[in-house]
Amino acid sequence: MSAVLLVPLLPLLTALIVVAGPDNTRYQRAKIAAWPIGAAFCGAIVTLYVVATQGPITIRFYDPSSLASIGFPIGFHIDRLSAVMMVLISAVGTIIYTYSVGYMYQDQHESRYLALIGFTTFVLLCMVSSSNLMMLFIFWQLLSYLLYVLAHNHAHAATLEGAFRTFTLLRVGDVAFLSGIVLAHSLYGTLEYQALFARAAGTSIVLSPLPGIEISGPTAVTLLLFIGGMSKSAQFPIHVWLPRSLYAPTPVHALLHAGIINAGGFLINRLAPLFGLSSTTLHVAFVVGTMTAILGASMMLAQNDIKKTLGFSTIGQMGYMIMECGLGAFSLAVFHLIAHGLFKATVFLNCGNVIHKARQEPHFPHVDHQEEEGSFSRLTWSTGFVTTLFIPLLILLVTHGVLHIPLLESQGTVIFLFFIWITSSQAILTLTRLRAVASWKVSAAMLLTLLFIVFVYLFAVESFTAFLYPDPQEVASYFKAAALANWLFDLIILLATVLTIASWSYLYMRAHGRTVWMPAWIEGLRIRLYVLFMNRLFADEIYQTLGRIVTRLLDRFDKSAQGWSR
Amino acid sequence: MMEGALVPLLLAGIPLLGAASSVLVWSRPEHLKNWSVIFSVASLAAAIGWSGYLATPPEGLLLVYLLPVAACASLLGQPVHQNHRPSWMLTLVFLGLGLGILTSQNLLGQIGQMLLLILTAVLLYRHHTPLWPISWLGIGAYGLAAMCVAVSIVAGPPPLSSVMSLLACAILLPLVPFHEGYITALTRLPGSLPSFIVLLFPSIGLHGLASGMQTVPDSVAWTVTLLALAGTLYGAGKALAQSRARLLLSFGSLSLYSMLWWVAAMTHATPPRATIFVGAIGLITSGLLLAWQVIRTRYGDDVDPQSISGLAATMPRYAVLLSLLALAAMGLPPFGLFAGFMGLLLASAVPFSLSILIMVTAWLAASWYIMGMVQQWLFGAKRHDLRYTDLLHSELAALMILVAVLLALGMMPATFFGPDAMATATGAFTGLFAWNK
Repeated sequence: MSAVLLVPLLPLLTALIVVAGPDNTRYQRAKIAAWPIGAAFCGAIVTLYVVATQGPITIRFYDPSSLASIGFPIGFHIDRLSAVMMVLISAVGTIIYTYSVGYMYQDQHESRYLALIGFTTFVLLCMVSSSNLMMLFIFWQLLSYLLYVLAHNHAHAATLEGAFRTFTLLRVGDVAFLSGIVLAHSLYGTLEYQALFARAAGTSIVLSPLPGIEISGPTAVTLLLFIGGMSKSAQFPIHVWLPRSLYAPTPVHALLHAGIINAGGFLINRLAPLFGLSSTTLHVAFVVGTMTAILGASMMLAQNDIKKTLGFSTIGQMGYMIMECGLGAFSLAVFHLIAHGLFKATVFLNCGNVIHKARQEPHFPHVDHQEEEGSFSRLTWSTGFVTTLFIPLLILLVTHGVLHIPLLESQGTVIFLFFIWITSSQAILTLTRLRAVASWKVSAAMLLTLLFIVFVYLFAVESFTAFLYPDPQEVASYFKAAALANWLFDLIILLATVLTIASWSYLYMRAHGRTVWMPAWIEGLRIRLYVLFMNRLFADEIYQTLGRIVTRLLDRFDKSAQGWSR
Repeated sequence: MMEGALVPLLLAGIPLLGAASSVLVWSRPEHLKNWSVIFSVASLAAAIGWSGYLATPPEGLLLVYLLPVAACASLLGQPVHQNHRPSWMLTLVFLGLGLGILTSQNLLGQIGQMLLLILTAVLLYRHHTPLWPISWLGIGAYGLAAMCVAVSIVAGPPPLSSVMSLLACAILLPLVPFHEGYITALTRLPGSLPSFIVLLFPSIGLHGLASGMQTVPDSVAWTVTLLALAGTLYGAGKALAQSRARLLLSFGSLSLYSMLWWVAAMTHATPPRATIFVGAIGLITSGLLLAWQVIRTRYGDDVDPQSISGLAATMPRYAVLLSLLALAAMGLPPFGLFAGFMGLLLASAVPFSLSILIMVTAWLAASWYIMGMVQQWLFGAKRHDLRYTDLLHSELAALMILVAVLLALGMMPATFFGPDAMATATGAFTGLFAWNK
């Protein structure tokens, strides 16, 4: 079983091979070093199989009863969640490393970047397989520093400034995380996952930080830990570091957006039994995630730079993932982060090719000046209507009537169905914007898309959830903990549905050249919102102003205390 | 068989003998530096070899081993120049007195402490420059500390003697508002002394604290708690506002040492892993002072830190070691400060409160001022008017020793360093939650 340790260690070997050796063998070493990281991927797959068939693997190099006396408690607990994450990280790490060998060829900082990619993969693998909260925190912090190192170019002032801000903002999250750990240890006397979950579930502790304010132990701990997760997953309002890390090489972006940024979602899943004890934290996560998803997506639409657009897209997706956690759909969040990770890695790696081609060929990418199809197609419209509204309704009836799932009492099922509907409809809307909209092929594609999405979600709901959380009672308990008040839940679903349908109608009509009448105040508001989102809600400026105020206050304090202190 | 009482004298005697015999090679600075290094290494060997004969002090023997290491690194990190000769000799004198104080259990240790404080005050009186003018407050602080030690000797039983002893500790292991001596010593003393005393003085302070904190009245402990919290924030705030490296490091370490005071005052005892915490802060600050010395050696004593940039590309060995020291200073794993800080927070029987949030915030501030300083030096555009020379062998050795020891402090099990480090698994469900209703 201890062979499983090779999985995190092999990427470290990659980093060492890249770093150690004469300069004239740099490229050869870089190519050789791809083998260990590839082997780590194979090892992760084997680990996943072993864990799935034989149960979790636990290896500890310390005495769990005296965790506080150990500065560096090294231990590994690999369950299904860890194994899935290990496969994802090692796969993305291998692809990005292999790509980078060619991409960074003859670059001045080639060795440093390749070694850092290997080391970051090692840190990520250790983080997801850690056996206790302390070890997770140790690698969590190292990740903060690695992000700083990865995101900057030594001699470029703007990059350095961005990297510095990235690090300081991530440290804010680290501080909250540390506070959560200290509180957890203070309340429950352990940082071992299983013992911590058991004690938190078995003990009722109410804290009163201020007169008149009461908060349960699990809520206090999980809120602090959640702030830590917010910083890594770029949740509003500590999201500003992500767009600021744009100057890093493209493969680094791929690693960042496909692997590192998922840390928040992983943290919540890792500590799911603890988060499941606090409805308040889950509701906070839902609010923060929803806000981040809406604001991130809105800001993405208003950006005019491809990397910033992708950056805000990631922020929006991370918001979506945290929102899913806030709804109690933990496994869905993991499924989402895997899908998003693979998608974003592909996009970023392709982004590099586009930039290279654009440099060689000034007219690339080609601008397509052809107008979209203006005619109204009954076939397409009918298929879209049937697939987006009629079939979901049918699914609802079947679920409710045939399968006897009490939808009104199960917010979890409604959430899954709602996500199926919104995702498939989004895909179908995209299809209607193709130029050949009147084709029967498009209609067929719509139906296939719907079926594909429904099956994927069913897989996510049934298979993946059963795989990650084999106990259905546990899954139900998370949904129950995250349940909103019925009227609020219904209102949110209703509002989201109305907004979505209104947006689709508006976009569909605009795409087909129809004039859409809007009151003047809405047009004015739209322009103001556009300016606001284009400037990213002026969050950077607000942080800069805050920084300047703090610096000025500190300088004033320093001058006033100078006579005394010197 | 060696007599137990004789061992502290012998331990103190080795570096003092080295200092006394340095006159033999006084005219040849390179030989004198090597001579001093040899005697500091011999002190380390003697401390390890005779550790079985030493009475273990409450804080353990770790600091007895770390002092010769710090002295050796401080000596190695200095350039060979005749102006540095007095500081090398004084480093050995301080090392001898320090080892004597830490290992003696009787009056001899207190007399040694008085001697050390008086010697420091005299040195501060003699050493000042236009850049760092004379500080009467600093000199006065060490005079006061010497007086406190004298009073504690003659005062008899507690509480007067313990309060006097605590006051002397507050000057050595800096606590606001008695930190002036510490800041002055780190900024004014010449050559290898600042990078050594940054560990020596707090170690002696911790030694006094370990034995004195238990007998301190509650009202005094409560006052210390408030001062420590104020010091944590004050030090961090001042460090954030500094542009001069020595002041930044002095205030930064003041902020971190104040955290130890807070835990000690809260628990009326030396916290578990306090030695690792103090040792790590001392070695980190020592390393960063040596790193600053490397820049001063190349660009002059009065060089403006803001004018240095681009060292990462031109001085790669220096960049790597400075980055590792910075990581340690920011409290990142796997270095000693992280382990010590975790020990303070997790292994002490201190309930979670808003004070802990203040401490954690000060810990966060270290990431800003240390990162700001290091980023300024290492990155940015390379200046063509500067001559870049990477680390010399002795400088490299000094910084590598410190980084290696800091790694060892962070990764070794706490039990490895002595009995005091035996952490108590803090009691959950033992009624120590201030917030628990």
